[in-house]
Amino acid sequence: MISRVAECCFWLHRHAERAESMARLLRVNRSFLLDVNLPEFSRWWPVVIVSGEQERFAEQHPDESARNDGELVQQYLTWDEKCPVSVIGSVYWARENARTIRDAISLEMWESINGFWHWLRRGQGRRLYGRDRDAFYQRVKESVALFQGVCHNTMLHEEPFDFMRLGMLLERAGQTARILDVKFHLLGPSTSEADSPVEAAQWVALLRSCSAEQSYLRRHRRLAGAHVARFLLSEPLFPRSVFHCLERALNFLSRISKSSGRGDASSEKLAALVESVRVRAGEQLTGAPLHEELTRIIDTTMDVCAAIHRDYFDPSLPLDEQAA
Amino acid sequence: MHAKQTTAPFSEYTPLPGTFDEVFEARDKPREAFAATVSLINAMGAAELRTRQRLAGKALLTGGITFNVYGDRRGGVERIFPFDVIPRIVAAEDWEHIDSGLSQRIRALNMFLADVYGDQRIIAEGHVPRDVVESSTGFLEKMVGVRPPGGVYVQVAGIDLIRGADGRFLVLEDNLRTPSGVSYVLENRAVMKRVLAPVLSKIDIRPVDEYPSRLRNAISSLAPERAGDHPRVVVLTPGPYNSAYFEHTFLARRMGCDLVCPTDLFVHDDTVFVKTTAGPQRVDVIYRRIDDDFLDPEAFRADSLLGVRGIVRAYARGNVTLANGIGNGVADDKGVYPYVPAMIRFYLSEEPILGQVETYHCENAAERDHVLQNLASMVTKDVNGSGGYGMLIGPRAAPAEIEEFRQRIKQRPRSYIAQPLVELSACPTWLGDRIAPRRVDLRPFIVTGRSTWVLPGGLTRVALAEGSYVVNSSQGGGSKDTWVLQR
Repeated sequence: MISRVAECCFWLHRHAERAESMARLLRVNRSFLLDVNLPEFSRWWPVVIVSGEQERFAEQHPDESARNDGELVQQYLTWDEKCPVSVIGSVYWARENARTIRDAISLEMWESINGFWHWLRRGQGRRLYGRDRDAFYQRVKESVALFQGVCHNTMLHEEPFDFMRLGMLLERAGQTARILDVKFHLLGPSTSEADSPVEAAQWVALLRSCSAEQSYLRRHRRLAGAHVARFLLSEPLFPRSVFHCLERALNFLSRISKSSGRGDASSEKLAALVESVRVRAGEQLTGAPLHEELTRIIDTTMDVCAAIHRDYFDPSLPLDEQAA
Repeated sequence: MHAKQTTAPFSEYTPLPGTFDEVFEARDKPREAFAATVSLINAMGAAELRTRQRLAGKALLTGGITFNVYGDRRGGVERIFPFDVIPRIVAAEDWEHIDSGLSQRIRALNMFLADVYGDQRIIAEGHVPRDVVESSTGFLEKMVGVRPPGGVYVQVAGIDLIRGADGRFLVLEDNLRTPSGVSYVLENRAVMKRVLAPVLSKIDIRPVDEYPSRLRNAISSLAPERAGDHPRVVVLTPGPYNSAYFEHTFLARRMGCDLVCPTDLFVHDDTVFVKTTAGPQRVDVIYRRIDDDFLDPEAFRADSLLGVRGIVRAYARGNVTLANGIGNGVADDKGVYPYVPAMIRFYLSEEPILGQVETYHCENAAERDHVLQNLASMVTKDVNGSGGYGMLIGPRAAPAEIEEFRQRIKQRPRSYIAQPLVELSACPTWLGDRIAPRRVDLRPFIVTGRSTWVLPGGLTRVALAEGSYVVNSSQGGGSKDTWVLQR
């Protein structure tokens, strides 16, 4: 397939996944804050950090108090078009990628993402946001789920589809890792195994941010920080665990490598990352070691993406080399 | 209000005086072939029609059937091309006449291109003046002696037809470079099937859906020999911010081939390659939607960022087929247009089947004098203008505008032609609360490979503003589905 189209497939699904992930994060945080009484700086600022938007947000809202302004943070992460990871920014870029490769995606996919974009852009979305915030974020999640489901059920499961899934899974692995890491950043490392009630609520919120609460409770009867971390990091059968996402991503990347006859560098890098996460699956990581592991995973995932770019999106041209 | 909503939509329709009406012979008297459609729409009622019109707009927006308008900070705003639910209907025998007339015209225009880039017999024998050809900005010296596969230059043509007060179809202009609009023909039909099914199911019309496969087969049949039985065909677009990008994606999807941007292609050893995830692969046929000027910075405009370096060399060597060919602009030049009937007689020894609008070319001193004396009653056009720009409609222009054109014509007579104002035919059009006559034109699409095929129907554009003669989408025009009745 055309390299540029492959790149658009990859990013289309990364952006769609981001929109969903952001909506989930904002929704869970709202409900979490109703359950517990937190110091102001721990209420909304962590969400900005997980999104990697500290700098841009501070630039636009230099006043320190803005960090604690829940409405402002939600407004920014939902509606700010200059924020590339805001809900509207992610949907804009997803749709822009879809528009660019309309000929390569199914008609149903296009109508799904385009209809969603117009819903957000043309007032209906904003009205729901004002009236029933929970329902709004729910609708965003459902719209992305619909888009992903339509994709799964209407595309040929060949190379373009593989690039879409690859993008979605790598994005999801990174999101889970970042959400887990924020615990370290702002909530501070867990003090003991016997977590306080507030801390327990935080862990539940963390699980909910990854739609993982029910699944977790099927594996563990008790809420404990180390168990939650291990579950989100390495539970092989949970669809949002870092390990699961990376392993599935490797599956798609291997298929791509096989069908195109190229791209060993990126597959090898990803295979090594998957193996390294598998090896540590038994460890009960908390605190600084957990932070280090998550940082390593996030950085290596970025290396993998760069290798995918070199292998498939912007490959050197053997013919040019001959000519030179 | 309620009583009005339930009235038959056509009950108060009055044709424009002095203008051919596409559907009605006179008030309350539809033409025989269209009577069934009129009564079906009447039976639907005005309120229902309003609902269906709204559904059509929504379907077009969700479908992203839009064109880009430049100027927004994010590279453009998307607009839907306003769509009218009342179809434009063409009787079967009228269509047969149009079909044969267009095929004839395209045959002659193709032969003209092969001739001016070959032996130039038509010039040598005095049927078309040399300076008219050579002064055309569309005439590309570099293409002399280059012969495209099968001798076909115009694989896709859009020829604009209008209908004068007497109801005769006339050719208004030829578009032989990268004519656009065909996606709207297909999408308009798809929308009509959704919103006007009760009418469509009872009227027997010719389908338009086979256009993309016809186009693909036609251009594949002209592939270079080495391509074998399965040539690699791509659609080349300038990119997502081009105003017709929707159409480019639409065609690629429906033709079942890849859509590529210039940066996806490169030329090596006079062969065109596309960059794929499996490495570079040879391209045999390109349906390109980039103008000649921007196609290859090596051959034409060096500042073109849209082009593919070396593609013209590959084309000249016969290693890649381009649709349309390079240099077609000389044949659809408004200054060359008056000579098309002579081309038909010269190359085909036939009389033109379709008439065309009487045209005065200001380069000729006698004709120029006539134009300058009659500017107030004529339509004057810049030969390089398009999209309704660079045009003076004398009877509707202010004296100052007329004076301005007079000066321009005197300075650059080669650049101007003038025609009498044709009373464009009108078609019943839904205006949100009633149906009223609005002027229309028709752009049929003609596909040529080893043979020629005319898409039954075409894009009907309608001037939505009352009294307007300008149908271009950039100037407040809309479109209608065009129904060609089965015999």
